[in-house]
Amino acid sequence: MDLFDRLKELREKGLDEIDKAKNEEKLNDVRVKLTGRKSELTTILHSMKDIDPSDRREVGQRVNKLRDLFNSKLDDAKTEIVEALVEEQLEKEKIDVTLPGREMHLGTKHPINIILDDLEKYFIGMGYKVVQGPEIETDHYCFEMMNLPKDHPARDMQETFYIDAEDLLRSQTSGDQARVLEKHDFAKGPLKMVGPGKVYRRDDDDATHSHQFMQMEGLVVDKNITMGDLKGTLELMAKHIFGQDRETRLRPSYFPFTEPSVEMDVSCFNCNGKGCSICKYTGWIEVLGAGMVHPNVLQNAGVDPNVYGGFAFGVGLDRFAILKYGIDDIRDFYTNDVRFLEQFSREER
Amino acid sequence: MLVSYNWLKDFIELDQDPKDLAEKITRTGVEIAEVKHPEEGMKKMVVGHIIDCEPVAGTHLNLTHVDVGESETHQIVCGAPNVAAGEDVVVALPGARIANNVKIKKSKLRGIESNGMICGLQEIGFPDNVVPEKYANGIYVFPQDADLKPGQSAFEPLGMDDYIFDFDITPNRADTLSMEGSAYEVGAIIDTPVRVEDITLKEDGPDWTQDFTVDVDPELAPKFYLRKISNVKIGDSPLWLQRRLWNAGIRPINNVVDVTNYIMLLTGQPMHSYDARAFKTNKLVVRKAEKNEKLTLLNNKEVDLDPNDIVITNGEEVVMMAGVMGGLNSEIEADTTDVLLESAIFDPTLIRKAALRHANRTEASSRYEKGVNWDATTKALDMAAFLLRNDASGKIDQGVITGSAEKRQPVQIKTTISYINKVLGTAISPTEIAAIFSRLNFKAEINSDELTVDVPARRWDISIPADLVEEVGRLYGYDNIKSTQPVLAETHGGYSKTEETIRHIKDIVRGQGLIEAISYSLTSPEKAIAFTKEPKKLVKVQMPLNSSRSTLRQNLMTGLVDAVGYNMARKQNQLAIFEQGRVYDFDNNTYNEHEHLATLYTGNAFFENWQHDNEKIDFFFVKGQLTNLFLAMGIDLNDVEYKAEIIMAMHPTRTAGIYIKGNYVGMIGMIGRPVTETSKTMKGNEIYGYELDLDIIVPLILNPQTTAQTAPKFPAIERDLSILVDQDVANQTVEDVIKANGGKYLHDLRIIDVYRGSHIADDKKSFAYRLTFLNENDTLTDSVVNEAVNSIDSSLEKQLKAEIR
Repeated sequence: MDLFDRLKELREKGLDEIDKAKNEEKLNDVRVKLTGRKSELTTILHSMKDIDPSDRREVGQRVNKLRDLFNSKLDDAKTEIVEALVEEQLEKEKIDVTLPGREMHLGTKHPINIILDDLEKYFIGMGYKVVQGPEIETDHYCFEMMNLPKDHPARDMQETFYIDAEDLLRSQTSGDQARVLEKHDFAKGPLKMVGPGKVYRRDDDDATHSHQFMQMEGLVVDKNITMGDLKGTLELMAKHIFGQDRETRLRPSYFPFTEPSVEMDVSCFNCNGKGCSICKYTGWIEVLGAGMVHPNVLQNAGVDPNVYGGFAFGVGLDRFAILKYGIDDIRDFYTNDVRFLEQFSREER
Repeated sequence: MLVSYNWLKDFIELDQDPKDLAEKITRTGVEIAEVKHPEEGMKKMVVGHIIDCEPVAGTHLNLTHVDVGESETHQIVCGAPNVAAGEDVVVALPGARIANNVKIKKSKLRGIESNGMICGLQEIGFPDNVVPEKYANGIYVFPQDADLKPGQSAFEPLGMDDYIFDFDITPNRADTLSMEGSAYEVGAIIDTPVRVEDITLKEDGPDWTQDFTVDVDPELAPKFYLRKISNVKIGDSPLWLQRRLWNAGIRPINNVVDVTNYIMLLTGQPMHSYDARAFKTNKLVVRKAEKNEKLTLLNNKEVDLDPNDIVITNGEEVVMMAGVMGGLNSEIEADTTDVLLESAIFDPTLIRKAALRHANRTEASSRYEKGVNWDATTKALDMAAFLLRNDASGKIDQGVITGSAEKRQPVQIKTTISYINKVLGTAISPTEIAAIFSRLNFKAEINSDELTVDVPARRWDISIPADLVEEVGRLYGYDNIKSTQPVLAETHGGYSKTEETIRHIKDIVRGQGLIEAISYSLTSPEKAIAFTKEPKKLVKVQMPLNSSRSTLRQNLMTGLVDAVGYNMARKQNQLAIFEQGRVYDFDNNTYNEHEHLATLYTGNAFFENWQHDNEKIDFFFVKGQLTNLFLAMGIDLNDVEYKAEIIMAMHPTRTAGIYIKGNYVGMIGMIGRPVTETSKTMKGNEIYGYELDLDIIVPLILNPQTTAQTAPKFPAIERDLSILVDQDVANQTVEDVIKANGGKYLHDLRIIDVYRGSHIADDKKSFAYRLTFLNENDTLTDSVVNEAVNSIDSSLEKQLKAEIR
């Protein structure tokens, strides 16, 4: 047979075999057979000396061309096979992405601590230090130093949990004020503190009373603190917690440890001041008590009231949370029903 | 105090809208909790005169014809027992609206036409506690002398056209617990002069003071005055007085008692009237009660008197609990003719405690405990006497018996205008400040910056310059004070290091998926020391609200167990909760508070899922969480040791004490079955948790000092080691031997399998470990590793009789 015819035949057969090879293994066999060291094409190239010299160039060219063709076809076929395999694999791996994922428990902050952390961060940003005092407090710090006379009703066994004649569960965080005032070195600068913590009162638990709750005390003392400073500080805090669009008002009030004493109301979030059942038709909701530190409190702590003065405020954290989140039973904070506690996670920052 | 707007007009010109006035008072003086307008929501109620009244046969009803000022009388059927011809009554006409939005229509009762309704006071909105007793179960009948015309609105004579301000006073403003005090306050607020009348009394009876002795302990009653009114005729008070009483929340009783209440409302001075027949001894003694003395009060309550109660006696028997309530044995009765009138000041603390002790707080006792005007005692006495002559036709016997009359120094305060402005942050001029004190009716003298103020006795809350700052501030108006921010030297804000660390720990735990709980610190004595390795002396409160809240907790776990029980009762069985808070004890002769952290887990690690891919929470799940927490806190796990331990209320063989560097820091384990199995809701559940004493742990991690190291560049070599040991050999023991003998390149040791079972002897178990060797500075050779492994193997064989597999 003419070598050229043979090449033609090889070409057709070869292409046909490539076409028929449907997996990588077979394709490899075909590659060896068509282009390998022992393939006919290689044999032809190796036996060029036997070919008519006038044909040599032509044969050489044709063999190389055919080998290139085979190689390119083999590559294409391989790509095709690999792609098909990948496709098949991916089809096998397919999942229903609409099925739900496996959920673990989601940790959440207690709602009172959401409020507390928010307030602490706010005041830290304004240069206040956060101070913690004892919950088992002495009558001396809780009352005496805070200008509550011996026969003050708050010092009754009926009102406060006494442990012995001198020790008690603090009914207010104000004792922290006295402790800090005693220690603070005013030569080193003004005093700015907030003091959060648990407090206890002899109230039977019901929807609006709790024998345990949380307060935060604030105290700023220096040489030139004014009631205007107190007003500005309280307004900004109230807006921070209850919204920038809230209005506020100060009302005269009474606390033994401040004089003048005030309470702050914010415009009712529910009715915007028009009057509703939540604000008892007054348009205002009471949020905190405050005032200018009573001279006796400074004096008792060894701070000269003729030189120094300041303001103090006290915030009921339970009350803030109740108002902010519309909670209608204070006991919900302490029964720890996880369905109640979980709902505030979106409030965490 | 309920303050009547109409009554205030006796003292001040008022033309303000009552609601606007209330807002002003709230912002400037005393919080007005509510403004009540009794007629609000009601209409078409008139005075009617009953012309005739006949019983309707076979019923309890009466058929009346009532003149309501129209050309024809109204036929009205009335079921009240006290309806009678000749009475002036309240008629709700057809179309009227009475209390609770009830509409009155023409109707037929038993086939008889009825054109309206004759009303009782409760039906037109009066609270039960102010309705005169004889009208409590029937219609209201106006007093004969009321001078009413049929057809006129019933609102005005009943005082329902009034506006009642509920003064929600703070304890320092008890001066407003009287109409005169309120008038001074309102007058100052709206800058209007106040007319408060004094009295000059003309006595018209014989001198009685020679025949009667009064013996008063001035410690108990620093002021005590007595008058005698004779020949009184007991009856009803005039309508104008009755309506002032009921609008103030006080029930009219008779013309004597009403006068004492009226004078108390007017002046703030509590008064008492005794039937003189209770003093046949001609003697009155004020003293402390003796043991075993008893008294039946006017409200029929029999009380065992306490030696700290002040009592009034006639020298033989107790006739009153002073300042609180009179005794039934000296009550003004229908046949009383002679009355002793008392106006006194008693020790506020003793009165408060007596009222509290006997749960018998009254209008009088609440005024005494907050303080009364030192200067109003005799004025009140004379005014009451005057009214008794007017209302009860009594004769005022000549003379006042004074039992005690302690004087008080008038209060004068010196301060400066600049001090007031400095504290308020204002620039109020001396003229403005003078004007403010004139509004308050305080005598003020200003001498350039110097300010001297004489405070009237009716404002006993004011004694120091800061009090004057408040008066100026509130009347100047807190609304008018400019809001500023303190301008201070820079301060460094922030948490203490300890608190920052605790907050970090809470963040980690929350990140692990735990919900934060807050429990009560007070619990029962048993729970206070459950779950506690070494209970300390209990801290108990003296007067607990109940036995389950009597003792301060020494552990947080008990609160979390309660919370788990509560949640499980509500079908919440997949729980992971934590609490960070304090525990309390008495130790080393002092009260102590320690910051703790506790967690509690139950159920599965994942929520129920369609893949059924789940892990039941067990000891080792929780221990893994704790290990992660320790790592995140920066605790070297090599310093942590777990020792099987028995702790009260925990599972005895599934609980470990946790030690860091040899110090006990807490415990981990399963809540004991006696706790869970006795609870209906927790029964059958395994609950695991841990509790840590942060007071010990936090100092260990307070100052982390990390020096950066590059990640290892040389490869590590892993070897697995499988051994057979006796059943009672703990993993920790094996690990200790491996670590002690693994050489310096033993980098990590991890147990990968524990096996007990059929393939090995009954008294043996198999442990498999993965050992990782690493030389941070060079490539490790097999021979080095082999040498280490050989040393480990031989030590295990020697020390633990282990069989290397």
